[in-house]
Amino acid sequence: MKKIIAIAWKDTILRFSGWAEWLFFLIMPIAFTVILAGGTGPLRDSRVRLVVVDQANSPLAVDFIATLGKSAAVRPEVLTLGKAEDQFAQRQVSAVLIIPAEFDLQHLEQGNVQLELRQQPNNMNALVAGRAVQAVISRVSSAVDIASSSVAEAEKIKPFASATARQAYFDAALKEAQTQMSAAPDRVTVAQGATKEQIEYDPRANSSAGQLITWVFIPLIGISAMFAYERQKGTLRRLLTTPTQKGTYLLGTIIGQVATALGQMLLLVGFGILVMRLNWGHSPAALGVMLLASTLAAAALGTMLGTFVKTEGQANGLSMMLGMVMALLGGCWYPSELFPEFVRTAIKILPTSWAMQGLLDIVLRGQGLSAIMLEAGVLLGFAAVFFVIGVWRFRYE
Amino acid sequence: MKKIFLIGWKDVTLAFRDRAALILMLAAPFALTLGLGFVTGRFSGSSNTGVSDIPVVLVNQDGGQIGNTLVNVFQSQELASLVVPTVLDNPALARQEVDADKAAAAIIIPAGFTASVISGAGTVPTQGPATTGEVVQLVLYTNPTRPTSVSVIKTILDGFVSQIEVGRVGGQVAVEQLLSHGLIQGQDAARIGGELGLRQANVAQSSKAIALKSVTGSGEAVKFDVLAYMAPGMALMFLMFTVSNGGRTLLAERSQGTLPRLLVSPTSASQVLGGKVFGIYLTGVAQVLILILASTLLFRLNWGDPLGVLVLVLAAVVGAVGWGLLITAVAKTPGLVSAVGSAVMLTFGILGGSFISLDNMPGWFRVLSKITPNAWGLDGFTTLGMGGSLANIWTPVLALLVMGAVLFTIAVLIFNRRGIMQQ
Repeated sequence: MKKIIAIAWKDTILRFSGWAEWLFFLIMPIAFTVILAGGTGPLRDSRVRLVVVDQANSPLAVDFIATLGKSAAVRPEVLTLGKAEDQFAQRQVSAVLIIPAEFDLQHLEQGNVQLELRQQPNNMNALVAGRAVQAVISRVSSAVDIASSSVAEAEKIKPFASATARQAYFDAALKEAQTQMSAAPDRVTVAQGATKEQIEYDPRANSSAGQLITWVFIPLIGISAMFAYERQKGTLRRLLTTPTQKGTYLLGTIIGQVATALGQMLLLVGFGILVMRLNWGHSPAALGVMLLASTLAAAALGTMLGTFVKTEGQANGLSMMLGMVMALLGGCWYPSELFPEFVRTAIKILPTSWAMQGLLDIVLRGQGLSAIMLEAGVLLGFAAVFFVIGVWRFRYE
Repeated sequence: MKKIFLIGWKDVTLAFRDRAALILMLAAPFALTLGLGFVTGRFSGSSNTGVSDIPVVLVNQDGGQIGNTLVNVFQSQELASLVVPTVLDNPALARQEVDADKAAAAIIIPAGFTASVISGAGTVPTQGPATTGEVVQLVLYTNPTRPTSVSVIKTILDGFVSQIEVGRVGGQVAVEQLLSHGLIQGQDAARIGGELGLRQANVAQSSKAIALKSVTGSGEAVKFDVLAYMAPGMALMFLMFTVSNGGRTLLAERSQGTLPRLLVSPTSASQVLGGKVFGIYLTGVAQVLILILASTLLFRLNWGDPLGVLVLVLAAVVGAVGWGLLITAVAKTPGLVSAVGSAVMLTFGILGGSFISLDNMPGWFRVLSKITPNAWGLDGFTTLGMGGSLANIWTPVLALLVMGAVLFTIAVLIFNRRGIMQQ
């Protein structure tokens, strides 16, 4: 036991011999968590910012902008043309809507009003803004369309006596259409399903759990680099000439890294509780089981990888690549809801997917030990398989 | 010049023989791009907006004209890549599908929905008596674990409801106006209202009263390919690894003694530094071009104007090499260059928009992102990917060149101060 602790302690000292390790251990995980969560402050207006240039200043334009403001998708912000063009050129805004000077009821009746929407290329928010503007256009213009149509029907039966009479007919029809459109009954009722999970995606919880997994999995898979390093330098052979068993060495190395990873996870969980006000602490038992199961699975994967790699450099590169790809596919960076159905099924072969699921059960869904038993069990299963392969195939020289 | 080229070429061949380096230079960005392609559905369907093939269940108990039209809307070719509709008879079964997370939403069209709309139930016309009868509502039964998919379904449903409302109001207003002006008789009102309403609903989607002219920064129609944003993002992120790894070899050569040996040969310090920088630059250019070529061939990704892409790659690597040299100049050991280089690679990745779009980030964050070659490079690549040309990317190209020149100057000053290039 003393030897195991000594080996673990030696690895820990080596790992933290330079200040740069703290970048990966704590600073960058916290920075990534905060950035991907979109800030830890109170929930901001998450609607897409749409810059509007109002060159008309007409009641119709004011009404149009107000209707845009009620949209669930965009948040209009009125600026001058110069400022809007500057921001657009500097890519500070996804879309700019320009309302021309002739945007008033008179021109609308004549059907020759054109709005200009400038959109950044290849930009999802620009597309969202485009759809929102189209929806408002449809709403605003529908009353005019109805009034125009009403006038046309009347004209079919009997031509108007004068232009004034025609205009009066149009105005009356427009007013009636606007009144009836705004008083239209609600035709859709929304009911929430009784799915197993009832809580929606929360970027803060997702970010906290996802980054915790990402930044712990990468160094744990990197255990392979430690094995490769010791093999390359010959220190492993020297160590094994001492009265130290191979199992003692393996156990010491793995326990040291698992303990460090658990410490890192607890610090990140602490940050989540204290700064981000996340519900990590309601079930310490569930949290403890999930953290331990996740670290063991990742450490086992690192041990298995250590049997295949030849050099420390290869192991470092592979651990970063595998860690990032598994985090991405496991739903640690983006909500897995966005993934296609077959991908959501396929990612069940990844330990990151189960780790994320279990941690979200705790922090997002407020569930306890019984709810995470399946995830923890699968992770421990991964750990057992990886450890068996890793230890069986391990090369000491 | 020949010596500079030889030293540079030697570093390029060494870099591409180093299997460990190749993992992060080529395999990692490729694997992540592949992963992003899978998770965004880029490889699984024609829709590449990140949400596709949304399972939705429809129950049509109405059987009337409007109910049938709603089912047809969800089964239309236009929505084929976005939704996967299933029509069931039983509302309870539909709800079960949602509860079992097999569907994002269920839309139940109750009996009498069409009649309710046509009769104007719940509306208060200005002419004549108020309509009677109950408003029959569509039921949208949602899956709370799929909020994005639900919002898409709700948007489609809202659009449809808006369309039928326009039809209803259109018919009603026209009839009321005609009645009030004595142009039709009361007994014809229902028939004429129905005809006008149907016509109005059909033209509602193609309203001409307000036209919308959509233009992009480069003057092209907007199309979105998520991979066209992600692939350059990954290539630029791992370019930072290549340049810092190149810088690391400079310090490694110094600590291993090969650099002092080179300096005692008839080769000046500036030639050695020039050769090393040239080598890092060539390696970076080769890396990005290989990734571009591979993604073009394998993912059929359109990077845009080849000349523009080439110029942008050359400029992006200048900016990245500047950072690589600065990291090398500041760090004291090869190991520290690797560690700081990896940290900078990831930091610039998130800061420069390789992981997330910067659009909704605060203003200070977007300003800060401009210190990264990633942000400028991504600006240029997305412009080119959307049909822009060399003329549209001069700002990012110049920014990257200036960034590289400034950082290179600072790095050389630090090199001289630390005496790195001295025997």
